[in-house]
Amino acid sequence: MYLVADINVEICAAKSCKLCTQYCPEANTIQYSEEMGKDKGFKYGSAYVAVDRCKGCAQCVWVCDNMAKNNAIKMIMIDQLPLAAITDNITYGDKSTTAVLVSPSV
Amino acid sequence: MSLDYVKFSNGFERFMPKEYRDMVEHGPFGKKVSVSQMGSFKEILEEHPMCAGCAMTLFIRLAMIAVPNPEDTIMVGTAGCGRLAISQAAIPFVYGNYGDQNGVASGLSRGLRLRFGDKPKDVVVMAGDGGTADIGFQQVLHSWFRKERFTTIMLDNEVYGNTGGQESGMTSRGAVLKMAPLGKKFEKMDMLQMAKVAGCAYVATVVPNNPRRVESVIKKAVLIAREVGSTYIQAYTSCNIEYAIPTDKVMEDAKNVENDRYQFTEYVSEEAKQYLAERYGYKEFLPKPAAPAGAIPNKA
Ligand SMILES: Cc1ncc(C[n+]2csc(CCOP(=O)(O)OP(=O)(O)O)c2C)c(N)n1
Ligand code: SF4
Ligand code: SF4
Ligand code: SF4
Repeated sequence: MYLVADINVEICAAKSCKLCTQYCPEANTIQYSEEMGKDKGFKYGSAYVAVDRCKGCAQCVWVCDNMAKNNAIKMIMIDQLPLAAITDNITYGDKSTTAVLVSPSV
Repeated sequence: MSLDYVKFSNGFERFMPKEYRDMVEHGPFGKKVSVSQMGSFKEILEEHPMCAGCAMTLFIRLAMIAVPNPEDTIMVGTAGCGRLAISQAAIPFVYGNYGDQNGVASGLSRGLRLRFGDKPKDVVVMAGDGGTADIGFQQVLHSWFRKERFTTIMLDNEVYGNTGGQESGMTSRGAVLKMAPLGKKFEKMDMLQMAKVAGCAYVATVVPNNPRRVESVIKKAVLIAREVGSTYIQAYTSCNIEYAIPTDKVMEDAKNVENDRYQFTEYVSEEAKQYLAERYGYKEFLPKPAAPAGAIPNKA
């Protein structure tokens, strides 16, 4: 098992600064959806992680904690994610469905 | 037109891999994208084998977004870590033998001008500090003295990362590395000064912890290289493996190094300033209007 980044949609959508999308070293890995969080009444969208591309460096955690000061990202073992988030090939095109797949089942 | 190469051939659409489909449907070709939109378009860079958390990877990612016309750009690289990612992108990549990259880019840039005339085709070299300041030093300097019109970007991780930690000319004095166990005895080379002496029209330093600045510096460098002359960017792109930087502290390190020896500097020649202002509307480089006489305080 290995660690991947996981973004808490509710914490992120409250701030939604997009900083982590600019600092993840991997391309197409932290995506941003305008729609995520809207169903919960948040005005802005949220960032989310395409876990099949995440290398587990935790740089995004540092950025969210120290630059955004929002603590929305945690590293979690990949088997703690819903199965669909691991098996489905998540990239940009699947944004609308990813909202359900990537956010952790609380 | 060159955009034609990122489209489906008739009948092949449903057989194309998802990454290609994303590139056609959501890629940046022919649009103007910026770092502030990151996360909402398919990037030119794909998956690659560079280490987790590597700042060089982040810089390359930003560079691919920053180039003004990705569809009309060719990247040139050489041995070293960076080529592992630069080659995995939807921008043509030419591999120069170790140290040959600026010679290869000189020929390429001249050939493209012969073939395409005035239509800009941008050549961008990205190579490590060893490739640029040590092994490729002679070809780099000569390409600058000849005012070859392309951009040279040094991915300065201050070590030979790909081969396990030898010191380079760009390593700081005193740095202890796996294969420099007694510490480096000489100063870090001043390539910025050399670039100016050799006649580069644009010389800048950046760190990847300022994505917008990386973007703006690369745009200017590539535009100036189209017509005015050689341009040089020196980017601090730490090697977290050889310098033992925990991956979640890579940006903290970049900030410290920025404050220590990598403050932002930018040199733009007068000719390049005029060209940027007139051709591309860079207002900051417009000549300052003379202050109206009434504005001068009368001390008498
Ligand atoms: C002619 C030649 N000599 C030596 C090598 C071995 N080699 C591969 S990468 C490398 C060092 C790269 O260091 P640098 O240019 O600083 O890039 P980094 O890997 O640090 O990004 C060397 C010596 C080679 N590939 N070709
Ligand atoms: S840095 Fe944090 S708050 Fe900002 S977009 Fe990323 S997860 Fe959300
Ligand atoms: S852990 Fe690293 S690779 Fe994964 S999303 Fe965060 S910054 Fe990107
Ligand atoms: S060895 Fe260093 S420079 Fe090379 S990919 Fe790994 S961290 Fe990056």
